Amino acid sequence: MTTALFIQLVVNGLVKGSTFILIVLGMDIILRGTKILNFAHGQFYMLGAYTLFMLCRLWHVNFLLSLILSGLALVLVGALSYLSVFGVIQRRFTPTTPFTYRLLMSAMASVGLMLILQQGTLIAFGTTERGMPSIFPQIITFGDVRLSLEKLLIILFSMFICFALYLLMYKTKLGLAMRTVSFDPEIASLQGVNSFWMFMICFALGSALAGIAGGIIAPVFAVTPTMGTHIIFTAFLVLLVGGIGSYKGAILGGVLVGLALSFGFHFFGGISELFVFVLVIVILIFKPGGILGEVLD
Amino acid sequence: MALLEIRNLKKYFSGLAAVNDVGFSVNNGEIAGLIGPNGAGKTTLFNLISGFHPPDQGEVIFAGEEITALRADQVARKGIGRTFQASTLFMQATVFSNVFSAFYRQYRQPGWKAFLHTPKVNREEQVIKKAAMDILEFMGLAALGDELATNLPHGHQRALGICIALATEPRLLLLDEPLTGMNPSETMEIVRKIRQIQEKGITILLVEHNMRAVMDLCDRITVLNYGRKIAEGTPEEIRKNREVTEAYLGREEA
Amino acid sequence: MEKSLINGKISKGWLIFGGMVLLALVLLPLAVKNAYMLHLFIMAYIGIVLGMTFSMLFSAGLITLGAGAFYAIGAYGSTLLSTRLGLSFWAALPLSTLITGIVALAIGSIIVRHPGMAFTIITLLLAHVVIQATGQIEFFGGWGGIIGVETPDPIGPIQFKTKISFYYLILFLLLLTALVFHALYTSRIGRVWRAIKLSPPLAETLGINLYRYRLLAFTIASSAAGMVGSFYAHYFQMITPEAFGGWLSIYIQLYAVLGGLEFYILGPAVGAVIMTFVPEYLRIAKEVEPIITGVFLLVVILFFSGGILGTLRRFWTAKKTAVFSDKEQS
Repeated sequence: MTTALFIQLVVNGLVKGSTFILIVLGMDIILRGTKILNFAHGQFYMLGAYTLFMLCRLWHVNFLLSLILSGLALVLVGALSYLSVFGVIQRRFTPTTPFTYRLLMSAMASVGLMLILQQGTLIAFGTTERGMPSIFPQIITFGDVRLSLEKLLIILFSMFICFALYLLMYKTKLGLAMRTVSFDPEIASLQGVNSFWMFMICFALGSALAGIAGGIIAPVFAVTPTMGTHIIFTAFLVLLVGGIGSYKGAILGGVLVGLALSFGFHFFGGISELFVFVLVIVILIFKPGGILGEVLD
Repeated sequence: MALLEIRNLKKYFSGLAAVNDVGFSVNNGEIAGLIGPNGAGKTTLFNLISGFHPPDQGEVIFAGEEITALRADQVARKGIGRTFQASTLFMQATVFSNVFSAFYRQYRQPGWKAFLHTPKVNREEQVIKKAAMDILEFMGLAALGDELATNLPHGHQRALGICIALATEPRLLLLDEPLTGMNPSETMEIVRKIRQIQEKGITILLVEHNMRAVMDLCDRITVLNYGRKIAEGTPEEIRKNREVTEAYLGREEA
Repeated sequence: MEKSLINGKISKGWLIFGGMVLLALVLLPLAVKNAYMLHLFIMAYIGIVLGMTFSMLFSAGLITLGAGAFYAIGAYGSTLLSTRLGLSFWAALPLSTLITGIVALAIGSIIVRHPGMAFTIITLLLAHVVIQATGQIEFFGGWGGIIGVETPDPIGPIQFKTKISFYYLILFLLLLTALVFHALYTSRIGRVWRAIKLSPPLAETLGINLYRYRLLAFTIASSAAGMVGSFYAHYFQMITPEAFGGWLSIYIQLYAVLGGLEFYILGPAVGAVIMTFVPEYLRIAKEVEPIITGVFLLVVILFFSGGILGTLRRFWTAKKTAVFSDKEQS
């Protein structure tokens, strides 16, 4: 294999990986903060892509602004979802509600939400793929390696978001409040933190990450109503690989799975996805906590 | 004769030693007390003994057998029963259900016969139902059989927790703060019951904050502070032990 | 003593009612001749069994999204046994049930060790992997599936040419499964599952090996799914990966939730029947149907979390002074 091809595949893998990382970080924030398993998370990703498409392509809003607005739109969607659905469900729980019930009620509600969002988008936009002309069509060359600027920017932007998240979670008061609430809601309330709002913020933030992932990917890949359902499986896979609730795991897992898929697809075609899945499940046998071994129940 | 022996037990959580080189023993038939200020490591010790956490170092020996590495259910099957600090019950089930379901080790008929509901199985279940009622009567909960566990007042929930532990027919019973949140009359009742449990031949290891009850009930007491054992002896000896008093005062404990 | 059908002592009235319903179902094909209607009943019965598999795992404290996987394994197993090895349906059915059970045991022994949420996600991925595998690998027929699966050989005078014989066959399988499951739930195995669901640590202090009982539930439930998978293959006479994927595993959950989670047998029955027939009568466009289902699901979870049967029972016990003992909260 030539160096050029190798680098191409790596870049493609990192682009895919970036998408996974953002989506799964969003899942981790929601899982750690609220312990909700949200099956509509993929739909939030899709909505981010469609929002960006509408803003940028249809209404010709500046790309960066569209991206920010897409993120904000999903903050809103996430907050609304929590207020109207998940929050209502969680309020009913008492300290003695078995974990099984908590998981099931939230998960099933999220499934309902998923069905509504998925079909709603399908009906509103039809099944045709939406595409956009490249925002950054330039190609960067060095030697005989040709890389699209777009893809590099996606990778860089994702790294930026990860860093921003790190700052938020570990260097700000809000982040501290979020982490305390996920660790022990009682301690949090003793310190004057309102659990309900913290849960909502966690949920909204996690959802926004999915939306941003959709937004940055929209110019590069096709925007379809089913993109959410397609990606959620791989996202869950990355979640398991990295360890549920592990931020470092999400990043590491996203990169690994992205690279595996990129190289695998090039050499083996469609069936490579299957191999990756099976491989991960085999890994989970030996390392139930994921690659980094951190397990969050 | 030591029924339970603990040697050099250590457990670290995130680099901090919750239990640091603790060793003591509990003799057959006695009521042993485990006291110490909050955070001293008492519940962690219970978790180590009953198999909910593996110790990082040390041994737990029960009836001459080493049980250190055993899982919680394996420890239970050796004959160690326990209650929990927070009310851990089958909340969505009735009081009777709670105790009836607690009988598990006692079944002699195999599972597949249970599935077939053979006459022997049905007879066995009748016997066990009676045993469950007996325990409820013993603890004074017989009248509440049809109440949902979650609807019970706190005191009754603790009593139910003890019922469940008794149903496992333990040789050693680990009681984790059975008197928390009880009013004086409830406390007296439970103290009486604990003595009666001892009279049945069950050895008891008791963690409690209520000092009067501890001094009253226990034959011997071990004191922990910051994960270490700081004293061991009869109630008289412990009462006079200055280090113990300081430990409690220093923590601004009542 | 817990009963899984209805919590409480089953009074004579209910038994008679149940008997009449059963009789009606048995006599149904005499009154209903419409092939499509019979088809709906058959699909509903399959749905009930699949819903019951979800409930069995729920009864042990596990949420599965992978019922579709074992449904597919049973179907494909049976299909391959009959098309490649020439086995008759009557051999393929028990054999593929057994094979599904063994596969479930193998997979389960690994995944049941994982804590609750991870288990659920893994079962979701499992269903996905099975669909992808059957679609991508030619041996399993690829995305086009396998056609020409033979109908069951006649037993005595009963031929399997019309839907009626299939109706009775699936009804029989359903009742058999319900009976077996009921026997399990009312035995101490069912009590152990319930203990594990309500409080795993407390169950452990009783000496219960969580892993073993969870694996048992997983294996039994998955085998039942495999069994109806085999039936489906020989009824429909063709199988495609899509038949087992899509929203299937999700709808299966919905049957149980809609009917009432605490009713391990009647809940899925009510849920599956409603979800199979109501959309037909409402003549909803295929596109809009998932939205209605989604809204419906949200409404049930938010307002009627006990499901239909749970809500009915709450009404019932509120009106009467409690005649039933051993009430369970939904």
